[in-house]
Amino acid sequence: MHSGIKNPVVKIIFYAILVIWGFSVLYPLLWTLLDALKDNEQFFFNAPWALPEVPLIWSNFSYVWSKYNFDRYFINSIVVTGGSTLLGLLLSAMTAYVLARYKFRGSGALYLLYISSMMVPFILALIPLFFLMNSLGLINTTIGLVFVYASSVLAFGIFVLVGFFKSLPKELEEASIIDGASHYGTFFRVMLPLSQPGLITVGIVNVLNIWNEYIVGTILINDPKHYTLPVEIGVMQAEMQYRTEWGPLFAALLMTIVPVLVIYIVFQRKIASGITAGAVK
Amino acid sequence: MKPVSEKRQRNLFIGTFIIPTFVFFCIFTIYPVVQALYYSLFDWSGMSEHKTFIGLGNFKDMFKDPIVLRAIGNDYFLVVGKIVGIMIIATFFAVALTRFKFKLAGFFRSIFFIPNVISVVVIGVLWNFIYNPQIGFLNAFLSLFTEEKVDIAWLGFTSHTIWMLLPPAVWAGIGFYMILIIAAIQNIPDSFYEAAELEGAGQWRQFRSITVPLVWEQMKVSIINIMMTTLNGSFVIVWIMTEGGPDNSTQVMGSYLYQMAFRQYHFGFAAAIGVLILGLSLITTVVMQRLLRHETVELS
Amino acid sequence: MAVNKKAAALGLAAVVALTSLAACGKGGNDSNGAASPSASPSESATPSDSASPSASPSASGSESDGGGTKLTGDFEIQYFVGGYGDKWWKKVIADFKAANPDLNVIEAGGPKINDQNKPRWIGGNPPDFVYIDGPNLNDRQMVEDGQLEDLTDWLKDAKNVDGDKILDILAQAPQQYDGKIYNIPLVLNSWGIFWNKALFKDKGWTEPANFDEFMQVSDKIKADGITPFIHTGKYPYYINGAFLYPAIVSNNNDDYTILQKMATNDIEAYKSPAVLAALNQIVALRDKGFIDKASIQINHTDSQMLFLQNKDAFIPNGLWLPNEMAKDVPQGFDFGFIPSITQKAGGKVVANTSTATVAVAKKAKNKEAAKAFLQFIFSKAQASQWAELSGAPSNIKGDISSSNAPNFVKDAAKYLTDPNTIVIPTITFNADVDKAMQDATDALTISKITPEEWVKRVTDVVAKVKQ
Repeated sequence: MHSGIKNPVVKIIFYAILVIWGFSVLYPLLWTLLDALKDNEQFFFNAPWALPEVPLIWSNFSYVWSKYNFDRYFINSIVVTGGSTLLGLLLSAMTAYVLARYKFRGSGALYLLYISSMMVPFILALIPLFFLMNSLGLINTTIGLVFVYASSVLAFGIFVLVGFFKSLPKELEEASIIDGASHYGTFFRVMLPLSQPGLITVGIVNVLNIWNEYIVGTILINDPKHYTLPVEIGVMQAEMQYRTEWGPLFAALLMTIVPVLVIYIVFQRKIASGITAGAVK
Repeated sequence: MKPVSEKRQRNLFIGTFIIPTFVFFCIFTIYPVVQALYYSLFDWSGMSEHKTFIGLGNFKDMFKDPIVLRAIGNDYFLVVGKIVGIMIIATFFAVALTRFKFKLAGFFRSIFFIPNVISVVVIGVLWNFIYNPQIGFLNAFLSLFTEEKVDIAWLGFTSHTIWMLLPPAVWAGIGFYMILIIAAIQNIPDSFYEAAELEGAGQWRQFRSITVPLVWEQMKVSIINIMMTTLNGSFVIVWIMTEGGPDNSTQVMGSYLYQMAFRQYHFGFAAAIGVLILGLSLITTVVMQRLLRHETVELS
Repeated sequence: MAVNKKAAALGLAAVVALTSLAACGKGGNDSNGAASPSASPSESATPSDSASPSASPSASGSESDGGGTKLTGDFEIQYFVGGYGDKWWKKVIADFKAANPDLNVIEAGGPKINDQNKPRWIGGNPPDFVYIDGPNLNDRQMVEDGQLEDLTDWLKDAKNVDGDKILDILAQAPQQYDGKIYNIPLVLNSWGIFWNKALFKDKGWTEPANFDEFMQVSDKIKADGITPFIHTGKYPYYINGAFLYPAIVSNNNDDYTILQKMATNDIEAYKSPAVLAALNQIVALRDKGFIDKASIQINHTDSQMLFLQNKDAFIPNGLWLPNEMAKDVPQGFDFGFIPSITQKAGGKVVANTSTATVAVAKKAKNKEAAKAFLQFIFSKAQASQWAELSGAPSNIKGDISSSNAPNFVKDAAKYLTDPNTIVIPTITFNADVDKAMQDATDALTISKITPEEWVKRVTDVVAKVKQ
C-alpha cells in the first residue's frame, strides 16, 4: 500500500485542518468545565478563555446538584431513557421479527407504513400529542413520556432489526421448531439472543437520542418533579433572565454531557454501525 | 399437529407480536398526525372550548403571512447551507481519515463525532455564549486583533441573522455524516484503488473516479437526511438561541409553529404550519430523489 | 378522555365527602355558607357557582373572623417567579396554611410555570388560583378563552380578612372586560428609566428630567466613552413599556386613553401623530448612536449586567430591577429612576404601570378556598409584607413610608401617588398586536424600518386581528 498524500505541503495543510477541527470539537468541552468553575465577576471581566481563578468554585456543581435538583433530574433522565429504550426495543423487535420471517396479508404495507412514518416531521404531531396525553392523564408523568419516546423510536428499530433478522440464517429457527419449540419459544430463546448485536446497536442510538431529547419533554412535562436533564437545561437558561448564575449553568451543561460522552466512548463502534445501518435506505 | 391448528397458532403468534406494537404506534404516532390535519382546519386558540371550522382558511392566511414566507426561506437557506457545509467537510474528513493514511486517524474519527452525542439544547446554550456581544468568545477573540473592543451583535443583524445559525448547525452535524461516508468508503474494495494507483492516478483522480461514484448512494441518503432533519428539527436550535428574533429574522417554520401555538394562541394555524412542513418535506424529498438520481446516471 | 373523567369523578367524590363532613362540623351556621363548600368543588362543570354571588359574600363574612368556614380539600396556587422572587409567595402560603390547617395547599411556582401549566389550562384541569405575571400568560386571552372566573358580583362587596372592602383599598382598580371583572391587580409597579446616580455624580452628568435633558446628557455620556442606552432587545416589551408607551402619551397631550383605544384594536389610534412622534424619539436615540449595539440580541440579565457594570448609562426597565439583580449590584451603585423620559421640558411625568394580577380559574375545583385566599392576600398586612419581601409596591393603598420596604419602592410609590404624574392604568394588548409591536420596535432600533413602516406593519396586524 502507498502512503496516502505524497506532497508534504498538502499533507501538512490537511493535517492542520484535522487538528483545528479536533480542537473546535474538544475545546467547548474544556471550556464548559473551566467556566463551570467561575463566578459571575470572572465571566464579566476576564476573557472567555481565561482560566478560572483560584479558588476554583467547585461548589457550582454541588449547588446545581442540590439547589437545582439535578439529583432528581438525573434519575428521571435515566428512568425515562432506560424505560423507553427497553420498551421500544421489545416492541420493535417483536414486529421486526414477524415482518422479517412471516409472510401474511398486509405485511408489506405494514412495513411501508412504519418506514414512511420516519418521514413525518415530529413537530406536526406535537400539538395533538399534547392534547392526547392531557386527556389520557399521561401529561406530566414519567410513564407518559416513556410511551411517547418508545413510540418515536419504533420505526427506526423496526427498520434496522428487520434487516438484521433477515441476515440471520433460517436453519436455526427451523431446528428449533423441529425440536418442538413454539413460535414464542423460538423467538425468545433462539432469535432474541442471536440478535443481540443488532439490539445493542439500536438501543445505544436510541439511548443517545432520548437522553438528549428536548422539545417533546418540554411540552409533555410541566412538573419539575418529572423534568429530564435537557428540559431542565432549557428551564435554567430561561431562568437566567431573572437570576444570573452562569457558573452553575455551565456545571449543569457538563453534567448533562458527561453521561452520553461516557456511553459514546464505551460503545463507539456500536454507534457507528447503528447510524450506518439506519441511514441505508 | 394438525395443519389447521398450526396455522391458527401461527396467526395467533403473528397477532400477538404485531398488534401491541401497532396499537402503540397508532395511539402515539398515527393518531396525533391525523389530529394535526384535523386541527389545521379550525380557528382555535387552544385554550378555548370552542373551535370554529374554517376549512382551508388557515392555509390561505398562511400564504398571506410574510413571516411564514420568511420562515420557509430561512428553512431552505439552512437546508442548502447545511447540505453544502456538512457534505463538503464531512466528505473531506471521511476521505482524509480513510484514504490518506494519517496517523491518529482513529482518534480524529472518534472525537469528530462528539458534537453529535451532545444535546442540541446544550449546543444552543454554548453557542449563545460564543455569540454573546459582550462576554462572548467570538468578540473577545476578534478583539485580540483590533485596537478597539469588538462589539458585534452576532445574532442581531438587520437581516441575514439566520446565517449565524449555520455554523452551530454544521458544526453539530459533521460527525454523523462523516461516519456514514467513512462506512461507505470502507466498503469499496482496496483493489479498485490499487488498480488506479498502478495507472498513476493521484488522490484527486481516485477521489473523483472511484470514491465519489461508489459512495454516491450514501451521499444521496445523507443529503436527503440533512434536508429532512433540517426541515423537521432545526427549530430547536433556533428556539434556544434566538426564539426566532430579532424581528422574526431567524424564524423557521418549526419555531413559528411553536410561537403561534404556545405564545400567540393560534393552535389551528400552528397545526396548519405543521401540515405545511410535512408537505414541503415530502415534495422536497421527491424532487431531490429525482435530481440526485439523474446525477448518478451522468457520473457512472 | 374516559380515564380522565373517571379519575376526576373519583377525586370529586373524595372532595365531596370531605367537604360535607366539614360542613357538618361547622354546624351550618348559615345556609349559604353550608351550601357553597359542597357545591363549589364538585360543580366545576356547571356555572351555578359563579351565578350564586349571594353565597360568596356571606361565606366571606364568616371567613373574616378567621376560622368561620373550614376550608378543606386541595387548593392549588400557580405563581410565576420572576423579578419579584418567590419569598412573599412562600410566606403568604405558609400563613394561609397556618390559618387553614385542614386545607391542603399545593404550590405550583417557578419561572416557567406559565408554560408548564398550560396543558392543564387547556385540558380543563387548571390550578384553582393563578397569579398572572411573566411571559406567555395573557390575561386578555385568558378572559376571551373563558378560563377565568367572573368575579364582578363577588367583588362588589367582598371584604378582606380585616373586614375592609377589597375594592376600596385597591390603588388601581381591576381592568374591565365588557364591564366585567376577572382579575384583580396585586402588584402595582411602574416601568421607567434607570441610571446609576453614583456614576452620574462621579462624571458630573446631570440627571435628566425630560427628553431634551436626556438627549443632552446622552451626548456627554457618549463623548465620555460610555454607551448611553441599552435595552433588552430579545424581549422588546421592555423598551415598549418603559419608553414607547409613555412617549405616546406625552405626545398625546398626556391623554392616555389613546393606549386604551389601541388595546381595543382601534386602527385610527395607531395612526395618530402621537404614535409617530413617539417612534421618532426612538429614532432620535438610534440615529445619534445612543443605543448599545448589543441590545438587539440580549436578554434581561445580560442587559442589566452591562448596566450594573456602568458600561451603559440608561436602561429602560421596571421597578423590579434592583430586587432582581440584588446579588449582582456592585458596591456604591445607586439606582436613579424616572417613570418616563420622553416628556417635553416642563411636561408631566408619565408612569406606565405594570400590574400583575390574580384570578380564580373558571374550572377551579376549590373556588371557596381561592376566594378566601383573595380575601387573605388583599390585606394591609400582606401588602406591606409584599413590599418588603418582593421589593415592589403592592396594589393596596396605604402609607408604606414607615415599612421595611426598600427606598426605591417608596420612591416609586411616591411617583405613583403624585398628582403631577400621569398614571397609565395597565393595558394588555392582543397577543398578536403586542408581538407585532415588539418586533417592529426591534426593527426600528436597528434601522431596518422607518416609523411609518412601524405603523403600517402594526396596523396590518390589527386589521387582521379585528376580522
